[in-house]
This record gives sequence, structure tokens and C-alpha cells, in this order.
Amino acid sequence: MPSACRIVANPSTVFREELDDWALLFNPDTGAVYGLNPVGAFIRKNMDGRHSVRDFADLVTEHFEDVSPEVEKEVSAFVEELVEKGFAEYRES
Amino acid sequence: MPRVMRTPRTIEIDITNRCNLRCEYCYHFSSEGDVASDLPTDEWLAFFDELGRSSVMEVTLGGGEPFVREDITELIDGIVRNRMRYSVLSNGTLITEDQAAFLAGTRRCNHIQVSIDGSAPEVHESCRGAGTFRRAVHAIEVLQAHGVPVAVRVTVHHRNVRDLPNIARFLLDDLGLPSFSTNAASYLGLCRDHSAGIALTVEDRVLAMTTLESLNERYGGRIQAAAGPLAEVRMWREMVRKTAEGSAMGDCAGGCLSSCGGVFSKLAVRADGVYIPCTLLPGTVLGRITVDDLADLWSNHPELERLRTRQTLPLAGFEECGGCDYIPYCRGGCPGLSYTLTGSPYRPSPDACLRRFLRESGLGPGSFLAGNGVTP
Repeated sequence: MPSACRIVANPSTVFREELDDWALLFNPDTGAVYGLNPVGAFIRKNMDGRHSVRDFADLVTEHFEDVSPEVEKEVSAFVEELVEKGFAEYRES
Repeated sequence: MPRVMRTPRTIEIDITNRCNLRCEYCYHFSSEGDVASDLPTDEWLAFFDELGRSSVMEVTLGGGEPFVREDITELIDGIVRNRMRYSVLSNGTLITEDQAAFLAGTRRCNHIQVSIDGSAPEVHESCRGAGTFRRAVHAIEVLQAHGVPVAVRVTVHHRNVRDLPNIARFLLDDLGLPSFSTNAASYLGLCRDHSAGIALTVEDRVLAMTTLESLNERYGGRIQAAAGPLAEVRMWREMVRKTAEGSAMGDCAGGCLSSCGGVFSKLAVRADGVYIPCTLLPGTVLGRITVDDLADLWSNHPELERLRTRQTLPLAGFEECGGCDYIPYCRGGCPGLSYTLTGSPYRPSPDACLRRFLRESGLGPGSFLAGNGVTP
């Protein structure tokens, strides 16, 4: 998927902020629950349909310390996994 | 002590105080949860909207009998609309073909729990009333036909303890259920008035433990228990073994009132809309739905905070636990049962006392550990 593509969270799934900036993603249709670390939770919070993978990588670099040089690749893999599991979708820009 | 999440993950709701039955051991009726009136549809729907905004994941509807409510499908629609899954605890007698089709269509049903207490009408109906067996079994069949997950709960009591092998055969072989769960009629609600003829005697309890262990082995672990004789025999054998070995209990924090973690992830609501910590502690009033903010109450209510610190209370501090070898491995039992038996949820439940059970049953720790002497 081109990294300029915008990503939007699936509104029928639930994002539960937990302690210490960790979060849970819950799909009520399947009952599936996934834990997100603070970086994953931060990205998910910004899945408003206006940000691309590249934007997320920039935001993560701005907000977190010691970010990997591979950040865009890692964000892309994370987003792809959420899309695959039905928690988010790509939106053509 | 575990830290508290921002909002509860699960809400247990007595969606009605009405029921078409009066099962003799019902924990609800005559308890402090037996309230005068039900809430109207709109108030529940507004509450479900708040649960959705609070990212609650699951609702359990009990009562009373939830299917007594004429608006039950509208209420479930409200739960589904707010991105939650749900379970219903039912006696099964009012579930119709149309309702089963509706439940299947929601795609959000974790399970409908139907109570079955016997393999035949005369046993099942001995506490639940005439005509209830066929209707409950019909409900299971209708739900199965529509692909709705069915969870059967067997409450073990004095009148059905000898029917357990037949019950297992009926549920697992004849009805083809993947599993069923068990508990026991406890000194709660109506059972307090009929305890003598319904509650398990110590001999019944030993028989239930032996029978359920043996059946569970025969059926490859398809019998479950979070409470009652099967759960007790597993936990108590482990406690006796650990005590004999002098070894640590592993991840099970013993030595304190640590048995219940419900207040860290769940909250309950009575049929009149009053928040309570658990349906087994219906007299502990915390606030009211749609009046008190859920997240604030969950994080800041002093009684919830106190219940959460319950698990730091050492058993060694209770007179009744004095000199007990099992203290390092004991967790004190259900706070709700402790409340009805002792008047306080902040004491160990006498019903959960291994030392007392061994004394009353005449079983030595060695024979209990080996499974000897617990044959019927």
C-alpha cells in the first residue's frame, strides 16, 4: 500500500485506553482483543483518515524518544496488521 | 495490588427484578438486590450509550429472568449499537424461536446461559417448579438450531447430586453441548430459607466432588467450574499438596483475602439502576446509573477502593483462621458469600474453609489428597 494512503480506524471497533498509555483494541463482532503498547496506541488515536503511514512515522519520531531508523517500515507493518484484522482501513487520498 | 483500569470491562446487570419462576435456591430473591421496580427502556438505553462512550466491552444481563422483559430485543439492540458484546443468564423457559433468530442475528452474543439441574423433569423441577424442564431443554435446542452459543449451568444441590452422571450424559452426549459448568446452591437469597433441604450436606459435597472429578476425566475436561464442588476439590487438593510439600502456591496469591478480582474489572447494576460492586453484594450501594458518572465512580468511590484493598488483608489476622496450616495457600473465598454468612465481605467465608471441610467430612489430608475416602 502506498505510504501516502490515509488510514482511518474502523468505527465499529473499540479502542480502550488503559494504564500507562497502553490500550486495547476490541472487535465486538468477533470478540477479538489486542493489546497495544504506547506507540501503537498513539498511532491508533491518530487514525482519523487524515494521516498516512509517513505522517505516523513523523508523529512517532516527534513524540517518542529513541525511535528506530526503520520507523516507517515498522509503522507500515503495524498499520497493515490492523487493516488485515479489520481494525482500520486505507482511504485513497 | 493490581492497578485499576480506567473503566470496567464488563458490567453485570440485573435487567429486571421480575421472574416467572421462584427456584428454591435463587440467590436473587429475598436478597438486597430484590428491589421494588424495574427501570424503563429509555433509562437502560441511555445507560448503554454511556457504556459505549466508556469503552465497556461486555454486558451480562441477569435478574430476575431477562426474557420476562417485553423490550428485551430493544435493550439488546442498544447494547449492540454501542459496540459491546453480551451474555444473558436465563432459566430458558421463555425463549422463543423468534428470539433465538434475533439473538443469532446480532452476531454479538457471547452466550445464553440456560440453567439445567437434572437429566429429567422430576430432578430438574424439584427446585425450579413444574413444567420447567421441557421448556428449558426446548430453549437450548432452539438456540443451538440458530447457532447461538449456549452455556448450560448446573447448580448442584441436595436433590440432584446423585443425578450428576445422568446430567453429564444428557447434556454432553444427548444434547451435544461442548461443555457445561457447575456451581452449588449457596447460602444466598431464597436458599437461606430452604437451606436444610437444598444445600449440600458435607456427605453430598464429598459425593459431588468425587463424581464431578470422575465425570470430567471421562468427558475430557468438558465440565467447568469457577465455584462449587469441582472448583473446590481442585483448589483444596492443591492446597493440601502444597502444604505437605511446604512449597509456594505459584501465581495464586494465598494468605490474604485475595480470592475475588472482580472489582478490578467488573461492576454491577441492580434492577432499580443502583450501582453495586457485584450481584452478590447487592446491599453495597455505590451510586445510580445516568446520575453518577461511571468512570468517576469506578476510579474514586471509597467503597470500591476498600474492596480492592481487601486482598491485602492477611488471613492470619482473623481469629477463625488461628493455627491453620493452610493459611499460606488459602484465599478466603467469595466476598458475597462471606457477607451473607458473617455479615461482612471483609472476613473469610466459612464455606470456603478447607480445615473445616476436612474436620466435618472426617477426611484426613492424606486421604483427601489421594482421593481415598471421597468415594460415594
